[in-house]
Amino acid sequence: MAGGITFTAVDSTKLAPAEIFGKTIAELGAQDPTIVCLSPDLATSTKMRDFFEKFPERFFNVGIAEQNMIGIASGMAKSGLKPFASCFSVFASLRALDQIHTDVCYQNANVKIIATHGGTSFGQAGSTHHAIEDLGVVRTMVNLTVICPADGLETANAVKAAAAIPGPFYIRINRGFDNVVYNAPDYGFEVGKAVEMAPGTDVTIIACGSCVYQSLQAASILEHDHKLKARVLNMHTLKPIDRDAILKAVMETRKIVTVEDHTVIGGLGSAVAEVIVEGGKSCILRKLGIPDKWSPIGLHEDLMAHHQIDAEGIVKNVLDVMKMDAEKDEDWGDEV
Amino acid sequence: MANEIKITQSDKYAAGIFFYAAIPLLKVICESEPKYGNKFKGKSFVFQISAACEDAKGGKMATHFTVENGVWTTHAGEVHEKPDIEFAFPNLRNFAIFFSGKGMPLPKIVGMFKHFGLFTGILGALLRMSKLMQAKDKPTNLADQIMLCKLYLYLLPNGMSRLNKMGHPDIKVVTDSSPDRAYALIIEGYPELQSWLRIKAGKSMSGRGEYKRCKPFLAMKFKNPSLALDILMSKADMVEYIREGNLFIDGAPEFGGTIGGLMFKVAYYAQGTYLDVEK
Amino acid sequence: MALTRQEWIGLEKKAAELRDLCLDTVNWAGSGHWGGSSSSADILTILYYKYAKFDPQNPDDPDRDRIVVSKGHVGILLAPLFSMLGLIKKEDLKTFNLTGSKLGIHLDSNKVKGLDSSTGSLGHGSPIAIGMALAGKLLGKSYKTFVVLGDGECDEGSVWEAAMATSHFTKRGTNNLITIVDRNHNMIDGNTEDIMALEPFADKWKAFGFETIVVNGHDFPQLAEAFDKALAGGPKPFCIIADTVKGQGVSFAQGNYKWHYGALDEAKYTTAKNDLAAYAKTRIERAEKEGK
Repeated sequence: MAGGITFTAVDSTKLAPAEIFGKTIAELGAQDPTIVCLSPDLATSTKMRDFFEKFPERFFNVGIAEQNMIGIASGMAKSGLKPFASCFSVFASLRALDQIHTDVCYQNANVKIIATHGGTSFGQAGSTHHAIEDLGVVRTMVNLTVICPADGLETANAVKAAAAIPGPFYIRINRGFDNVVYNAPDYGFEVGKAVEMAPGTDVTIIACGSCVYQSLQAASILEHDHKLKARVLNMHTLKPIDRDAILKAVMETRKIVTVEDHTVIGGLGSAVAEVIVEGGKSCILRKLGIPDKWSPIGLHEDLMAHHQIDAEGIVKNVLDVMKMDAEKDEDWGDEV
Repeated sequence: MANEIKITQSDKYAAGIFFYAAIPLLKVICESEPKYGNKFKGKSFVFQISAACEDAKGGKMATHFTVENGVWTTHAGEVHEKPDIEFAFPNLRNFAIFFSGKGMPLPKIVGMFKHFGLFTGILGALLRMSKLMQAKDKPTNLADQIMLCKLYLYLLPNGMSRLNKMGHPDIKVVTDSSPDRAYALIIEGYPELQSWLRIKAGKSMSGRGEYKRCKPFLAMKFKNPSLALDILMSKADMVEYIREGNLFIDGAPEFGGTIGGLMFKVAYYAQGTYLDVEK
Repeated sequence: MALTRQEWIGLEKKAAELRDLCLDTVNWAGSGHWGGSSSSADILTILYYKYAKFDPQNPDDPDRDRIVVSKGHVGILLAPLFSMLGLIKKEDLKTFNLTGSKLGIHLDSNKVKGLDSSTGSLGHGSPIAIGMALAGKLLGKSYKTFVVLGDGECDEGSVWEAAMATSHFTKRGTNNLITIVDRNHNMIDGNTEDIMALEPFADKWKAFGFETIVVNGHDFPQLAEAFDKALAGGPKPFCIIADTVKGQGVSFAQGNYKWHYGALDEAKYTTAKNDLAAYAKTRIERAEKEGK
């Protein structure tokens, strides 16, 4: 795939990830005539307008029919097109799951699903529109690469990667505003490789999506207020997950806190836990996310604070974890 | 006469802002501008501004400065028993009218003749401050713009925190429910032109300079001092400035209104608007 | 273009071979979706042997017509058909449903060359076919896309989401999409009208914007007439409702919903084998007599 992203990093600080997706796909569309976009009456919400205006013949609004959209995308992929189908994460992952399962993943169809309004980012809309189970659900789909980018530039990188790598992708982005994590796109994004955002050996915070920014702020507070050095890993790819980075963190820090805007069942925390347990080294793990309860309604930032997946919530939990030991080692007597 | 004036809760809020957030800016003037600061070179004295207030301990509220060898220390909200020079207002209302620039009800000045040189120095610095802050239009030269920005930026978070500490219901409603969050005001390219307010479950604190714990929850970033003053002096529309890129809200935009609302609340008292509205 | 006598007889022979091979596969597998397979046998025979532009020697040809069998549980019919086409080894049919086989109840398009889509979860075929039709137009291809639905499958809402979209996107390629419904009147638990009434079925398709035609799905001249009309093109998408009989040709299974899926013992297998032979004979005789 030729070319890069032409809009500047400065622009990216002012654009929501969905808008950056819109611009990226419009640019990729100019380079690759097989790229088509599908939307279930959400071209505006999912920022596909740019693409639509540039390539009206390659844009398909299927009406409010997510299942139909994914099925159509599969048929297109099987006929040589590279469809990007975008809708709310909650409907992509739950309503159209059977189609993702059978039409896309089973057939390894080259369909790229851009799942917007991830987590509680559409907080005011309530639980019908909160996507807190999607990562757990789609992570179980064979052949599917699952990415939850930290910000707009990472969204652009993920979309470019999806366009370049054959096979099904699920890219989960937020609604509207997201804090900026990256100032330039060339930080070394690679599918399946975590990015170390901050070095540290006291504890490792592993996060994805908007929680990466919060974890970085937490690391700053931990250093400023508590003289703790927290390693922060941006685990943008949930599947295939970066096992090496997790096992390294286990060996080097022995304390891990995962942070995700998702139920603590099945998502990033569970994925990390699976790797840890299989690694065979003991370690303390705390999974932060939405507990097994329906979230309140509210602004995304407020809900993140409520669920302790904002900077202060992460700090509080890291401090708790710091008081725990992986092994009992009260006996300090010398062996004779 | 003065005694018949009924002191309202708003007078008290205004006084809180002036004593804790505005008057301390005198030190900022003296430290930032040698023209005013040099008047006190090598001098040691105590200067106080006070207002009689029945509710206050000892019957008055005050903020004083101790100057040692020309070095200023601020004692916000603290009464000094024997200041060398004191501007003493007979009540909070007159005090508020004077500092908001709504009128000139002169205070009783103690020590004016004994320390006439210091008095003129203090008066000069106070006039500099009030001229800057009470002007209708923004200054035209950059140095004055920077100075005024500094005063505003130091005043506003401090004033918000003061109102919160005094239990102002409009501020409490924000702080009580807030997680630990910092709101910052930043003028880009001028490291000293930054200040912040940190709130958490009803508590608040303000600070000058960069917020060092982490990136602030939300920062209002102005492109330069002149554009900042357009907003701070209510000369321009904030939404328009955001659209034009003169002001950048770094953080969830939904919360831009929160800090804006708090700023207006401080201005409502500091500019004496309440004196007209609540007549 | 009406069916010539020769073509008709040829199709009858192919259909007879297919029904027979399907029965054998059910026998080898121990059990199978025999009812719905027998009702679709003629539809798939005429599709693969007459109307679809499909060369088994070049199954990946980008210009080939696409066929999506949405009623994916007829794998036990498709596998014999593909073996007749040379795309599956005859020997492999004997592994059908066995552990380790590449052939199971629902066929996997990644394992069976020439199969355009894996299906199995009902109501999925039409959207996939729409995608293929839209892609064809966009890529400048003139291929047609055929989708074969079961009637019970039409209980699924996604069938109607797709029906709406098929009419909506005619200018963008779905005019090249032909929908065929195997109307065998039966589903697992009973008659369609008892379980979830479909009638007035043709009116439903018409209301969704389809040019709809109802034909006898076991009558090649009627099927041919319908396909000719559908392929002639027109502003509307085409739906052929092929009226069929579940278990067609076998005395004990014919029209009996219980034969949606079943196992054959030795006696039933023999009976069925003989019944099918007699059935084929009758049909070929008719073709020879009535064909022109």
